[in-house]
Amino acid sequence: MIELRELKKSYGGVEAVHGVSFTAETGSVLGLLGPNGAGKTTIMKILTGYHFPSSGQALIDGIDVAENPLAVKRRVGYLPESVPLYPDLTVGEYLDFASDARGLEAPARAAAIERAVSSCGLSGVYRKRIEELSKGYKQRTGLAQAILHDPPILILDEPTTGLDPNQIIEIRELIRSLGKSKTVILSTHILQEVEAICSRVIILSEGRVAAQGSPAEIGETLKGEERIRLRFRSSSAFDSSRLSGIPNLRSVASFAPEGAGVFAAELVMPPASAGAPEASPQKIEAGEAVFDWAVGQGIKLLELERRRLSLEEIFVKLTQEGSQEGDGK
Amino acid sequence: MNNVLAVAKRELKSAFNSPVAYVVILGYLLFTGVYLYFISGFYSLGQADLRGYFSIMPFVLVFLVPALTMRSWAEERRLGTYELLLTLPFTEGQLVIGKFLSSLALAAIAVALTIPVPLCASMLGSFDVGVLVAQYAGVLLEAAAAIAIGEWISSLAKNQVSAFLGTVLVLLALVLVDRVSSFFGSGGLVASLINWLSLSYHFDSFSRGVIDSRDLAYYVSALVLFLYLSSWGLNRRKWS
Repeated sequence: MIELRELKKSYGGVEAVHGVSFTAETGSVLGLLGPNGAGKTTIMKILTGYHFPSSGQALIDGIDVAENPLAVKRRVGYLPESVPLYPDLTVGEYLDFASDARGLEAPARAAAIERAVSSCGLSGVYRKRIEELSKGYKQRTGLAQAILHDPPILILDEPTTGLDPNQIIEIRELIRSLGKSKTVILSTHILQEVEAICSRVIILSEGRVAAQGSPAEIGETLKGEERIRLRFRSSSAFDSSRLSGIPNLRSVASFAPEGAGVFAAELVMPPASAGAPEASPQKIEAGEAVFDWAVGQGIKLLELERRRLSLEEIFVKLTQEGSQEGDGK
Repeated sequence: MNNVLAVAKRELKSAFNSPVAYVVILGYLLFTGVYLYFISGFYSLGQADLRGYFSIMPFVLVFLVPALTMRSWAEERRLGTYELLLTLPFTEGQLVIGKFLSSLALAAIAVALTIPVPLCASMLGSFDVGVLVAQYAGVLLEAAAAIAIGEWISSLAKNQVSAFLGTVLVLLALVLVDRVSSFFGSGGLVASLINWLSLSYHFDSFSRGVIDSRDLAYYVSALVLFLYLSSWGLNRRKWS
């Protein structure tokens, strides 16, 4: 378990992290999301005992990082953004060094190396020098180092950069399975990654927590409106003014005839009843209203899609608002 | 202790996996050999005496040691492994001592490979083994102190080249400084202070075959001081 309490860190007068607090439970994958300079890497460096906080506390399984950095380092597996490797060594020699550093003794040691090598798909390059490896293999060697000692806490700074799509899927799968029994924190600027593997997200902006929750929750709280995209066929003449017959319609974002009586439109509707719609079946969902309207008008719906506000849009919204505030000061 | 050895082992593996270690050791043997046979005129001396050979050691170390220590921290910074080392469960002291021991081991290998020189010379005449032991002890002690200085400079330097040049400069100054002491009159306070600072001044008695506890104390205290400075510098990152 990881706990940050009002963590602050400044480098030579510049404050990089202004009072961040959060907890990450065992058995979860927490995603730190934010533009460059938001404080993601600084937080990770503090959690791994590389930097000490200027004020506030960082606790790993209840141990204060600043008070007992060695005990913390033993519990943490860390893959820094720069992927630190020794080019002169082979993959095997590198993992050997990591095992020495972790104090792994004879019987457990071979098994640990074997497990890390196979889960990161490194058996083919075990005897190769690291300088000869491709970017993807280098990244995976770094990851093997981080998971070698089966740490309860795993801190990964942009773990999938430089990997090809197949490798990304494999590594995400690995991280997700590690997240079942460990506390995993990863930073990324790839938003699908967060949606794919994180159970919780913290969006950082300018060294502050801009939003936190599950990816769906964050989407929910920020959703001010619902967008419905539809294509339909109308046998009679149709123009956009007829769309205003849809109950609760806020505005029409786009409307275009596609020919042969087919039209495409994007509608802006008020958000679906707050909370889960399943829980309150009486309330009419936006899609439902459109469907009823179409039936009444004798219009055939070809496509009806509810567009969810993606994390990407939320991210842009949050971080830009943050920086505008910052500019105003 | 296991941690110290883990660091040293990794350093030595990297050194022997790359040409660096071989080139440095070979260069050292070549230079000292050429000096002994061609420049010092060992054969024309008509004496089985290696004092001339050992008296140039302080100068040779001025170049050997920086070549060994320039990589130590500057290279870790470049590779980003600096961050790895400082987030593995090592203390700063263990890292500094591990790196120090690996450089010292390389220097010891280089120095040990010169043993055939006195062995061959001993066929020409009788040698005082005690003197030879003192001479080798002196070389290793001076190398150890110089390595501690080189490692510290490497921990401050931005890259290998500036680590090398900076260390050469500092060691050269420490080796040559006793030459200027005569300007301040011999036996004066300033002169003896300058002599006391000099790496080569303390080596003189070793090269004559004398092990003086004051010289021993000088090398050991220089070693401890600079190892401490390196580890203090590493610790400072946490609050910067």
